[in-house]
Amino acid sequence: MNEAPRPVIVLREVTKTYALGEISVQALRGVSFRIAAGEYVAIMGPSGSGKSTLMNTLGCLDRPSTGSYELDGVDVGTLGDNALAAIRLKKLGFVFQGFNLLARTSALKNVALPLFYAGMPSRARNAAAADRLREVGLADRLDHKPNELSGGQQQRVAIARALVNDPAVVLADEPTGNLDSQTSEEIMALFEQLNAAGRTIIMVTHDEEVAAHAKRVIRVRDGLIVADERTAAAPIG
Amino acid sequence: MLQYLLEALGVLWANKTRSFLTTLGLIIGVMAVIAIQILGSGMAGAVTGVLGAINDKSFSIFPNARQADFTRAAISVAEIDRATRTVPNLVAGIPLGSTTLEVRLGTAHAKLRLAAESDRRFITSPIRYGIGFTREQIAAGAHVCILLDTAAAKLQVDGDPVGRSIRAGDRRYTIVGVLAKSTSGIVPNVIQSDVLIPYTSYERDYARGRPVLGARFLVGDAGRLIDTENATLAYFTALKHGRALYQTIDRKTFASAVDGIFAGLTLIVALIGAVSLVVAGIGILNIMLVSVAERTREIGLRKAIGATRFQVLAQFFIEALLLSSIGCAMGLVLGLAIGAGVNEIALVQISGVVAPIPWLRSVLIATSFATIVTLVFGTYPAYRAAQLDPIEALRYE
Ligand SMILES: Nc1ncnc2c1ncn2[C@@H]1O[C@H](COP(=O)(O)OP(=O)(O)O)[C@@H](O)[C@H]1O
Ligand SMILES: [Mg+2]
Repeated sequence: MNEAPRPVIVLREVTKTYALGEISVQALRGVSFRIAAGEYVAIMGPSGSGKSTLMNTLGCLDRPSTGSYELDGVDVGTLGDNALAAIRLKKLGFVFQGFNLLARTSALKNVALPLFYAGMPSRARNAAAADRLREVGLADRLDHKPNELSGGQQQRVAIARALVNDPAVVLADEPTGNLDSQTSEEIMALFEQLNAAGRTIIMVTHDEEVAAHAKRVIRVRDGLIVADERTAAAPIG
Repeated sequence: MLQYLLEALGVLWANKTRSFLTTLGLIIGVMAVIAIQILGSGMAGAVTGVLGAINDKSFSIFPNARQADFTRAAISVAEIDRATRTVPNLVAGIPLGSTTLEVRLGTAHAKLRLAAESDRRFITSPIRYGIGFTREQIAAGAHVCILLDTAAAKLQVDGDPVGRSIRAGDRRYTIVGVLAKSTSGIVPNVIQSDVLIPYTSYERDYARGRPVLGARFLVGDAGRLIDTENATLAYFTALKHGRALYQTIDRKTFASAVDGIFAGLTLIVALIGAVSLVVAGIGILNIMLVSVAERTREIGLRKAIGATRFQVLAQFFIEALLLSSIGCAMGLVLGLAIGAGVNEIALVQISGVVAPIPWLRSVLIATSFATIVTLVFGTYPAYRAAQLDPIEALRYE
């Protein structure tokens, strides 16, 4: 990595301490890394190691206790709630283990939701949402409700929603955790395709096989990074 | 703003059953208040309608029932005449009461009530045929009569009967006029008469010097009505050497008594309204809170993808607003339908008075219901939703 591409994420000595009455839990104990635009990173680690805390921090859902976090050139640590909401809206896309689609609401409307909060008019919203659904291979499922879709299709809708605001980073927390291995493969293929098209993707996973699709794996344990390595999937150079 | 409204409508539509159940209390509450309120004004209209045909410038005087010997206070027609001449501002006086007789006109006959009238009209229903009594007819105690619409109907009067005679008992009276149905009121029921004859004839043929129930007087200057009532009371009390008690009733005192009844009714409506407001509001509060709890993950998601607190607050607030508006609108429509229906079936049929439906007031009541319920009971759930922490909300099962 001599060419030093533009970093989208810069973490410096980030700690996160949860106060539980008398005792306090240190979920992150000084985490530093940079992620460049276009990277595809898997975060791995045993349960309770701090993965979710790290993702929440990266996702601007939570602020670090100490240390600094720079996202796409903005120092996020100092921002207020509304500014954080604006960052999540404009720069981040979330994919969750449980899909988290709005029930009884069409795929199209689910995907268009972030644009609603961005204040885009309804027609433009629906057009953009339809484009994204086409991109994830659901062109013929625009009006289906979540309960009329398979798990894999629901996750595709969620991915389309994460992409609809053209985010700088896509954050996925165990996106294949609720899917069978066949469907997982399809979703991983979709992520690979998105990454090939230039998306920056950060994904938490338990599954070594899933992690093998990423170009870089960061391993955490007890709130610290224990390994940060390129995988075989990473192109040489 | 419109966007939010549409979004909220979408959410409510997606959860039709829950939305409907939420508004049920409100629908019923608003419906009840609107219906009762319409019935109230229908009844008020009926009563004011009754008074409509009674001369504004008249009042009645009765012996007060609360005295040891109330026959001492009895009034005769001669005394009424004397009072009319003596007390300033009195221009006419007639005895109260009526006598029921079998009355014939041609082959038709019916039991009708005969009552006294003067040349100055006490009953101001419009004249359909002929004229009222003349001063001469009164002075002479002429054998003439005026038919009220009830008598005209019972005697099957067809066309102008002026000049024909009725037979009442063994006496004959020539018809000089026929009154139309009062446009506003149930006069006959209140005035208790079907056929009017000159009070002088009434005295000669029926009262015959015996005491009557009471008297009705007309005043010249309506502005001095109260003073004149007091002067008349004083006159009769003095006439009986201070040993008798009287009371007067004029249109205003009657109307204010009626108003008192309706003030009571209004208070009851207001109470029912307040109770159903609170019940309906708590229903909405409860279901909105359940809805916020149920939708915790959804709220977490909305916040995670970038909704601000204010946007979440606005969304839930508008949902509450929509729910209560829809509920109140449905309650309004149902209440109007029920109120107008019962009004038509019960009151109009009985009284013949079509009281206008208080549209504006009904709409105002429904609107203020919606506003109050939303503000008082919709704000807290919306605030709760806005305060949720997205991380915990997303973890929520
Ligand atoms: N909201 C919280 N309050 C208190 N402790 C927490 C909270 N969230 C996480 N923790 C603790 O922080 C540590 C890391 O948790 P987490 O980031 O969820 O790990 P992982 O996702 O890797 O399983 C755990 O010990 C967990 O109990
Ligand atoms: Mg976790």
